[in-house]
Amino acid sequence: MSTTLPNRVIQEQVKLPVAIALEVVLQGIRIRLGRSIVTILGVALGIAFLMSILTSQLIRQGVSNEQKTRAEIQRMISFLTADSGPLRDRTIGVIQTGPLSPLETRFLDGIRDSRPASVLWAPASLGVAAPPSVQAVALAAVARDASAVVVMGDGSLPVMDWPSILEPSRQKVVAFARKIPPGKAPSTESQPAPVYAIAGATVVDLSRELKQDEIDARNAALKTERYRSVWIIVVSLLVTVIGISNSMLMSVTERFREIGTMKCLGALSSFIRRLFLIESTLVGTIGALLGVLFGIIFPLVLYGWSFSLGMVIGSLNWGQLGLYGLFSLVVGIVLSMVAAVYPARFASRMVPAAALRSNI
Amino acid sequence: MAVDQAQLNELFAEPAANQRRCIIRAVDVKKTYRMGSQEVHALRGATLDIFQGEYLSIMGPSGSGKSTLFNAIGGLSKPTSGKVYINQVDVAQLDHNELAWLRCRSIGYIFQSYNLIQVMTCLENVTLPMAFAGLQSEEAREKGLYILKLVGLGHRALHKPAELSGGQQQRCAIARALANSPEIILADEPTANLDLRTGEEMIDLLAKLKAELNVTIVSATHDLKMLQKSDRILWIADGSIIKMAHPSEIDFSKGEIH
Repeated sequence: MSTTLPNRVIQEQVKLPVAIALEVVLQGIRIRLGRSIVTILGVALGIAFLMSILTSQLIRQGVSNEQKTRAEIQRMISFLTADSGPLRDRTIGVIQTGPLSPLETRFLDGIRDSRPASVLWAPASLGVAAPPSVQAVALAAVARDASAVVVMGDGSLPVMDWPSILEPSRQKVVAFARKIPPGKAPSTESQPAPVYAIAGATVVDLSRELKQDEIDARNAALKTERYRSVWIIVVSLLVTVIGISNSMLMSVTERFREIGTMKCLGALSSFIRRLFLIESTLVGTIGALLGVLFGIIFPLVLYGWSFSLGMVIGSLNWGQLGLYGLFSLVVGIVLSMVAAVYPARFASRMVPAAALRSNI
Repeated sequence: MAVDQAQLNELFAEPAANQRRCIIRAVDVKKTYRMGSQEVHALRGATLDIFQGEYLSIMGPSGSGKSTLFNAIGGLSKPTSGKVYINQVDVAQLDHNELAWLRCRSIGYIFQSYNLIQVMTCLENVTLPMAFAGLQSEEAREKGLYILKLVGLGHRALHKPAELSGGQQQRCAIARALANSPEIILADEPTANLDLRTGEEMIDLLAKLKAELNVTIVSATHDLKMLQKSDRILWIADGSIIKMAHPSEIDFSKGEIH
């Protein structure tokens, strides 16, 4: 569009390419390096706060779960030893019926950590893969050589002549790591009774069913925990929003005069907005990256100090941590952009005379 | 308010050979600010013509509306009522895009506090408006160096404003104002921050540029030296133009010039 009046044509102002804006921005950051670093640190601080809150929560959850798991395995092992005696220097048999739950995997490790003479592992049926670093033997060998047999895995013992298979293990202990649902208990076609009744071995049920009040208490605790995390995350987000907005707002408002000058020289509002959009994206990205890094390392070191670093790192849900990191990164970048573009937009719409007058 | 095209044509009819072309025309320009509950009349209706190639000084005590008039005729702020024509174009009718074009090519601004962009070198400060006008960087660099030489700052082209004296910074600002060969240079107290001698140099430079490039210079000033070099002097007080005079009509030897 152009306004034509006698003798004179006013044209549209040239729209500058992004490359020029980028050049101006990079130059500005380089020259004002000290000031830019302060702004970046402001963003980093906000994001580090948010990220450290999230990481701490994950670490606490991980450590608490790990402690519960350890206690549960300890309980299972003590139940096993209560009936079969200490596992040390004995031959322990493991029959796996299907995929192991994480708890069972850890239980298996727990058995091996109790320093038995050997652990004989046998699949209950073909197609059950051996866990890492376990040598498979035949079922009959387990029954013959092991003085205690643990059945674990998600599956049923296949229908076969269990009494004769387990015949050599008579008077031994057969432990079930999980409750066998009715109908899944091993049986023969002629005698559909549980295997242990027929095998005559001492049978131990290592699984533990939670009572209703225990379940209720656990759910209530989970609910409280969830409310508390939401509250903490909301509060830390608020702190982050205010911190980042403050540093970005300052870095823009202190340049109102510069914006006014640029407008006097013929800069379009869109060019000025683009300048600040690019700058805030750069500053926000660098700041948020630093913040995420710092927000992960700091709690790791602190909690690693009070528990052990190995336990903290081993029990941490890294996938969730990655998601949190991504979330914080996006929060940091978006907040920086919003907090910078809003005042830049305001400044770019100002009458140049007013922008030039501002003295901050 | 609709503008009658015929009336406009008449208003801006090509001047006769002996007539000078009117480059800025202000018609009954009023500006009212609101300060809290109070209304401040910064300009109470200023009408004036500024001709091509002339050197006009605007005088007035602080708070007289001098800067307001200056900003209004420079397209830096919009008057509450009245019309400002720059180069025969009604400024009020331009959108922000066209205003940017006008500020970029038709007007060069010089400020009391230089307003150079601190993060850029002299040369970059001068080439920035050229970039806004779409000039290629190589061409802009050449032109920028030429203009810096013209204002006597060729040897300082690659220095940052912070490394320059006040006079050198103002020279750089003048060079920047000339970047896109504007027809009008608006100078807001360009010598106020400079010592007497440097101020004088600046005035001589502006006078030289005016003579060489035939630019129109409008400046708000208190500087007597500047007034003496002007073609016309305009007095403003309490938002109204109270006097328009030629320097020869004024006796500078007395303590007061009213």
